[in-house]
Amino acid sequence: MKLLIKLAWRNVLRNKRRTVLSGLAVGIGLASMIFVDALTAGMLESMIKTATDTLLGHGQIHADGFRDTLAVEKTIKDSETLLNSLHSDDALSAFSPRTVSYTMLSSTAGSEAVLLYGIAPETERNISVLDEAIQKGAYLESSDDDIILIGSKTAEILEVSVGDRMVITVARAYTGELSQDMFRVGGIFHMGIREVDQGLAYISIDKARKLLGLGTAVHEIALRFKSLEMAGDSSLPFWKRYSGNGNEAIGWRELVPQLDSVIKMSAVSTGITMFLVFGIVALSIMNSLFMSLYERMFEFGILRAIGTRPVRLASIILLEAVSLSWISILIGVMLGYGVIQFFSVYGIDYRGIEFADITITEFLYPVMNIKQFTVFPFVIMLFSIIAAVYPAVFAARLTPAHAMRRSM
Amino acid sequence: MSEEIIAVKNITKIYGTDGVEIHALRSLNLTIRRGEFTAIAGPSGSGKTTLLNIISGLDRPSEGKVMLAERLLSDMKGNELSDYRRDHIGFIFQSYNLIPVLSARENIEYIMLLQGIGEDERHSRVRSILKEVGMEDMGERRPDQLSGGQQQRVAVARAMVTEPEIILADEPTANLDSSTGAALLGMMRELNERKNMTFLFSTHDPMIMERAKRLVILKDGQVARDETRE
Repeated sequence: MKLLIKLAWRNVLRNKRRTVLSGLAVGIGLASMIFVDALTAGMLESMIKTATDTLLGHGQIHADGFRDTLAVEKTIKDSETLLNSLHSDDALSAFSPRTVSYTMLSSTAGSEAVLLYGIAPETERNISVLDEAIQKGAYLESSDDDIILIGSKTAEILEVSVGDRMVITVARAYTGELSQDMFRVGGIFHMGIREVDQGLAYISIDKARKLLGLGTAVHEIALRFKSLEMAGDSSLPFWKRYSGNGNEAIGWRELVPQLDSVIKMSAVSTGITMFLVFGIVALSIMNSLFMSLYERMFEFGILRAIGTRPVRLASIILLEAVSLSWISILIGVMLGYGVIQFFSVYGIDYRGIEFADITITEFLYPVMNIKQFTVFPFVIMLFSIIAAVYPAVFAARLTPAHAMRRSM
Repeated sequence: MSEEIIAVKNITKIYGTDGVEIHALRSLNLTIRRGEFTAIAGPSGSGKTTLLNIISGLDRPSEGKVMLAERLLSDMKGNELSDYRRDHIGFIFQSYNLIPVLSARENIEYIMLLQGIGEDERHSRVRSILKEVGMEDMGERRPDQLSGGQQQRVAVARAMVTEPEIILADEPTANLDSSTGAALLGMMRELNERKNMTFLFSTHDPMIMERAKRLVILKDGQVARDETRE
């Protein structure tokens, strides 16, 4: 076996130019797969981050049916007990209660319908990036009773700025009576997502409860888990623990189903791309092996003549394929790592591009993972071996006299 | 009379190319005895290489049979035939028949590795055979670092190292200059006499024909002349 391996390696290194070219072709294929996967992972991570950090959180708890209608009466059942038990839940790193209601915002310039969130300013900081998105003015304080935060687009439409007054009109729970109050614009936020910058406004949760006549009830509890993976795991016991009794606890995959579809779709498209790229790789290796085999026909005839069994001859071809794949893998892994490192520093500017209803707000950075440097190279080696089977069988079937005649 | 080692009985070989049949051998009979130093000569296309290929099991006859050391070659297939060649026949082809990526030592060792001979035994045999062919200092050289004559010496060493029943040599001096060819032939003749090894050549080379103990002339796939010299 040792000599066969030596023979295979030396044969591969015999025509260095061809080996380098084949290695580069396969290596570039591998590097591109590694990079595309890293970029896709980076894009998905960025989209998930955008979706979860902007507003949603990693997961949410609501009353059953609230998400469909946003009916003011559909508050979380037994919310105080629930909030108390969330305090001691190990899976979470933060949570924040909210009220959510449709509202009409009016200024001297006009009116605009928005979704009004009542938030607890201190805990909300740990869930969304609202505090970091304040462009003008300041973020809410717990004691801010008459302060409203509005989006940059809303401010533009209603021609208001920090310090200006606005009137909020909401329908109260159970009675449906309209309730109005005067607020001062305390801050203007800009998330870079049109629907958010034009469609949302925030006031303190205490004030919102009073306006809506909710008492101590809440509509939504936004959750942040210790890791995003936990939140994406639908089998996590957390979901069952807080679902039932008229409430539902769901993760971001259910909150943004289109994002979940994108993830599934990207896995399929990565698989198809991988199959195509690695198929081309296999053909390239097969071509290289056949060229080398035809060049060495006389030599194979000699090897057979002096007593090399067909299966051993086939093993030489397979070992050559493995050797070639190692060279290619080395090139591919180094190239892939280098390209990922480069773009990890400089990023790719996809900001403003919307995909699956989610706007990319940050530079995209490829995300390296262990799969790219273990599974992909393994698949390359596997495809190389599969590609070598045909030339190996061809070599094994050669009759010595025929092989020597063909080489003349 | 010495032991019969090869018996070719009524061999016919027909090649078919694009519907045209070429009779390379026609009902040929030949017997080789242990220790003979036989040259098979004849014009191009007379069937010399075909005969050698059939005797060694590299090719199969269309008709007839070959007995090698009392075994019927046509009964052997696949691995058995490979193993038989490995253990009983040594091959010397025209130049360029060494494995180019292996050193002279490794080329000789290769066949012993196939036989499963242990490392110490292999190394000792390689040292001894390289000395015998006058190449003891060149074991680590690759074929492209050796002259044509040196390569053929290594080929002779490879053919002999397992001490086969017979050594088949297809035009061994074809690509060598006359003095190198003469030296190689001298070496093989000496081994034949000293070790009683059986050599069977196919050749065009008048020098081999002259120094062979037995000369078989083929013409149109048949034995035209068979003469033994003392």
